[in-house]
Amino acid sequence: MIKLFSLKQQKKDGETASERGKRASAAQLRIQKDINELNLPRTCQVEFPDPDDLLNFKVIISPDEEFYRGGRFVFSFKVGQGYPHDPPKVKCETMVYHPNIDLEGNVCLNILREDWKPVLTINSIVYGLQYLFLEPNPEDPLNKEAAEVLQTNRRLFEQNVAKSMRGGHIGTVYFDRCLI
Amino acid sequence: METEWPGRWDHIQKILLRTGPFAHPSFEPSPEVLSFLKETCKILVIGAGGLGCELLKDLALMGFRDIHVIDMDTIDVSNLNRQFLFRAKDVGKAKADVAAAFINTRIPGAKVTPHFAKIQDFDEDFYRDFHIVVCGLDSIIARRWINGMLISMLKYENGALDQSSVIPMVDGGTEGFKGNARVILPGITACVECTLGLYPPQVNFPLCTIAHTPRLPEHCIEFVRILLWPKEEPFGAGVAIDGDDPNHIKWILEKSQERASQYNISGVNYRLTQGVVKRIMPAVASTNAVISAVCATEVFKLATSCCLPLNNYMNFNDTKGVYTYTFEAEKSEGCLACSDRPQVLNFTETDKLQDIINHLQENATYQMKSPGVTTSMDGKNKTLYMQTVKSIEEKTRENLKKSLKELGLMDKQELYVADVTTPNTLTFQLQLGTKMENS
Amino acid sequence: MRRTKGPVLIVYKMAATLNKGTGLDKNNKYDRQLRLWGDHGQAALESSRVCLINASATGTEILKNLVLPGIGSFTIVDSCKVKGEDVGINFFLTVDSIGKSRAQVATELLSELNEDVAGDFLEEDVDDLLEKNPSFFSTFTTVIATQLPEKTLLHLGKVLWERNIPLIVCRCYGFIGYLRMVIKEHTIVESHPDNTHEDLRLDRPFKGLHEFCDSLDLNSMNKKDHSHTPWLVLLYKYLDIWKNMNGGKIPSTYKEKTALKELIKEGVRRNAEGVPDDEENFEEAIRSVNSSLHATAVPAEIQALFEDPCCLNLNTDSKNFWVMVRALKEFTENEGQGLLPLRGSIPDMTSDSERYIQLQTVYRDQAEIDATAVAGHVHALLHNIGREEPLNPDRTKKPGTLSDSEIRTFCRNAAFLTVLRCRSLEEEYTTETANLEELGQHILEEEEDANSDSDDTVLYILLRAADRFFTEYNRYPSYFDDTLDADIPKLKACLSKLLHDWGLTAGVKDDYVHEICRYGASELHTVAAFMGGVAAQEVIKVVTGQFVPINNTFIYNAQKQTSTTIIL
Repeated sequence: MIKLFSLKQQKKDGETASERGKRASAAQLRIQKDINELNLPRTCQVEFPDPDDLLNFKVIISPDEEFYRGGRFVFSFKVGQGYPHDPPKVKCETMVYHPNIDLEGNVCLNILREDWKPVLTINSIVYGLQYLFLEPNPEDPLNKEAAEVLQTNRRLFEQNVAKSMRGGHIGTVYFDRCLI
Repeated sequence: METEWPGRWDHIQKILLRTGPFAHPSFEPSPEVLSFLKETCKILVIGAGGLGCELLKDLALMGFRDIHVIDMDTIDVSNLNRQFLFRAKDVGKAKADVAAAFINTRIPGAKVTPHFAKIQDFDEDFYRDFHIVVCGLDSIIARRWINGMLISMLKYENGALDQSSVIPMVDGGTEGFKGNARVILPGITACVECTLGLYPPQVNFPLCTIAHTPRLPEHCIEFVRILLWPKEEPFGAGVAIDGDDPNHIKWILEKSQERASQYNISGVNYRLTQGVVKRIMPAVASTNAVISAVCATEVFKLATSCCLPLNNYMNFNDTKGVYTYTFEAEKSEGCLACSDRPQVLNFTETDKLQDIINHLQENATYQMKSPGVTTSMDGKNKTLYMQTVKSIEEKTRENLKKSLKELGLMDKQELYVADVTTPNTLTFQLQLGTKMENS
Repeated sequence: MRRTKGPVLIVYKMAATLNKGTGLDKNNKYDRQLRLWGDHGQAALESSRVCLINASATGTEILKNLVLPGIGSFTIVDSCKVKGEDVGINFFLTVDSIGKSRAQVATELLSELNEDVAGDFLEEDVDDLLEKNPSFFSTFTTVIATQLPEKTLLHLGKVLWERNIPLIVCRCYGFIGYLRMVIKEHTIVESHPDNTHEDLRLDRPFKGLHEFCDSLDLNSMNKKDHSHTPWLVLLYKYLDIWKNMNGGKIPSTYKEKTALKELIKEGVRRNAEGVPDDEENFEEAIRSVNSSLHATAVPAEIQALFEDPCCLNLNTDSKNFWVMVRALKEFTENEGQGLLPLRGSIPDMTSDSERYIQLQTVYRDQAEIDATAVAGHVHALLHNIGREEPLNPDRTKKPGTLSDSEIRTFCRNAAFLTVLRCRSLEEEYTTETANLEELGQHILEEEEDANSDSDDTVLYILLRAADRFFTEYNRYPSYFDDTLDADIPKLKACLSKLLHDWGLTAGVKDDYVHEICRYGASELHTVAAFMGGVAAQEVIKVVTGQFVPINNTFIYNAQKQTSTTIIL
């Protein structure tokens, strides 16, 4: 059915009480919903340096099992006005010895790039990140060296992870301490 | 300059001085229709690029005079194959300025006002002045923004939409030989946000592929753009890639070719490199002409009611013959933008934020669990209270005890409330009265 | 700059052209379109010579969209003087040009758009030109005719048809747009189809594919290699197993395909606890079963080309296209063993770089072998029809011969070759040969279904009725306000006569007759702009030999924003 609309019926009175401020954008409304409904596992926390800015925040993951137990890893989230059509930009701010996170903090997680869909939420990403620490995937690595060690010598990988989290060199790369 | 001459409006007047069986039911043929176009109707064109240049020409020749155009871009050489209001000598100048000046010179009576600016630089007072907004944009973000702006200006009386607050939005888009045009009556028909799924997602290759298993030339270019550039910072610390700087593209090209030859991948060249880095969409004059023409025809129909407007979406593709598909895009029940009708909350300025929270939780209509409340002040978000996130809760807890006045909340202020009980963030409008009125 | 009344062609050049302009880099200027039709498409465009008859709004809008992307040259033929109503709808006429030659003013203003395009004009009546100097039109690559009366149009159509010059007819009438492609034969190698099956040959694997796949052993691979083996190889291997279990058949039914998917699923590695690993390549293989196992065959359209007289009866004057089609036919009957040459490309898929590139090379190499075989046939055929020196070691391109790169492009596109043969205007306008079946059917549907939303064919019939009105009264229906109502029954009568002549009994709703009278032959700028875009793109298709033109009539309904294409 065609909805009838006629410009001629419009009365342009020009008079309108000017409301304060600009309306929140669709991206802003959506992120507020995402944030308000964050349902994080107990190993994850979210930090808002500025509570008024819901578009930029940090997620801290402190795994309590497997290789990365006892570590504390900070991820920065930047949500743009394209959200949720475009995924947020996520970087790891803690230097980590991990097959799927490189030394610049780039994270290889499918839902952050090729498999992102607008129905996914910030919560989905946090779960994805947590999963990376429980099940590092050496088959599709970003840090190839770490992946190779994990594949060939699980024991050595475990030692390397522990060493890096205590603060120290793995090969020529120095890792800051990130144990809680 | 002579603005009227014999015969000038002969063609258009056949449509406007005569009616027909397919005219809009409210159409009354009369000389006043053309006078309305010429003297009263005010149109906003967003974008002075491929579509925008065409739109300005089309609208000006269809009798519209008071036209504003917004564009934040300057003219580039690669625009000249279709943006026909620009010449080689104009490269580097503001698109809006050059386009407006050209139309005003060529078409007697046309009064195009240029704005070399972003759409976000203007507020509601600016947008409210227009009868119709027509967009020729290549950015989804900008489309969503103007869509949100027009929806935020809708007024409801006793739950019914006040039609005088509706500013129709006509939107066109093209890529290569494909295009689409649509008419949006905010609050009445499907809006940009209702049909967000119609926009194709950006192509993002997996990072691990880019980093270690490149197979396509594009993977090599993305490696240099995403991973190598920030590491090497070839043009200095913190210098971002400028897709228009040939030196930047040349560096990326060379590094991409190096990487490609390492993996025996062929096909990395300058054109592809620039295409990937700038995410270039192919574009040609003909498709822009077609889509703009549809949009301008629709603006003309909306302004004159000479016939029914497009209902409401048209796709176009002329790769194989000419294919068009016209359909009615449906309004989404849970649309983030247009399903959200502001609801009124009556309070006084001495009431506390806690009172609002209590109301939202206890009122039978809402029965919210843990509402998170924000507002917009001076164009920026302000989080008033959010219980579910510890770090925000701690920093906003003290707001609960503050009065609305202390928080700087005014009459007609909008509050945005998210809660598990509602599918989207809801918009409320504060109505601040005195205690007497409320009791 | 000169003006003329005689049949002398005036070449109009912008000062900028004489000064060689600003020397903008064409790679830059045309970047956004080169991504669509390539450098070779651009070269074809730049060597084209386009003639426009009538600098109407529709006409100048078409030319605008051709001058911008850079055709070689245009010539406007128009004897009219600029009138006030022209300026009101035409961006390339100005108010101070009223009374001047419309051809000249439009040529000047259009030439400003692109200094690389040469514009000229001829201020002469088309009817006179067709009478006195019809060979004038022979020099053009394409002729565009806008807003022409029926009689002139048919004369022009005849002259161009005889000379084999493509004609594009375009007109705007109120909210109606009309375009007619008139081209005897147009052959397309690069049709750029939107969605196509990949040419993978899993059902008919070639030697290189056999060898490559057989050289890989899934069982002995480490975990990483196993999960990075391209799905194409996986599908090859599991298909092999399936065929062995099923008497050499490939799965064709839904049930059989499901069984194959199950078989692939079982191949996924499991961890110590027996849980299957995440192997994306296996998932991709399973997803590809449906789309990749269709039987490879020569498409019916290409088979039809093989039987075309132009392919079967080659001669010295045969188009290169037909020589190549014939070579293709001979290839499929010999080396190809019933198949076209391999396309030689594969889609992207999960894989390590090395094996993906190896697999890609396997396909490319076979495509190269096939193309070389086709080239052999081409050269033999050219030799047979006396078009190539028997000994031409460097194979430099000579007129009538073919380069290897052309043959390669042809082979890559072998499954998508398209030949367009339009009917002539004469056939359309002669009752005996008119496509009345088509028209009759459309009216009938329109009549039966009051809410028929899908078809704009009726608008064509009304335009023909309006033309008949013009022939009878020398004006279009309700062109003048004072005959607005009086012309309605007259147009109805014209329509009835037209339908009667066609032997069609179904009627056309009165609403349409009223609507046509409302339009009064007006030309609305936005309708002209729409058709300007459409017609320009059709010219580009004709000139570049890429993409597929309209066959043969396109009707645009600007009221409903719908369109219809019909063969008339």
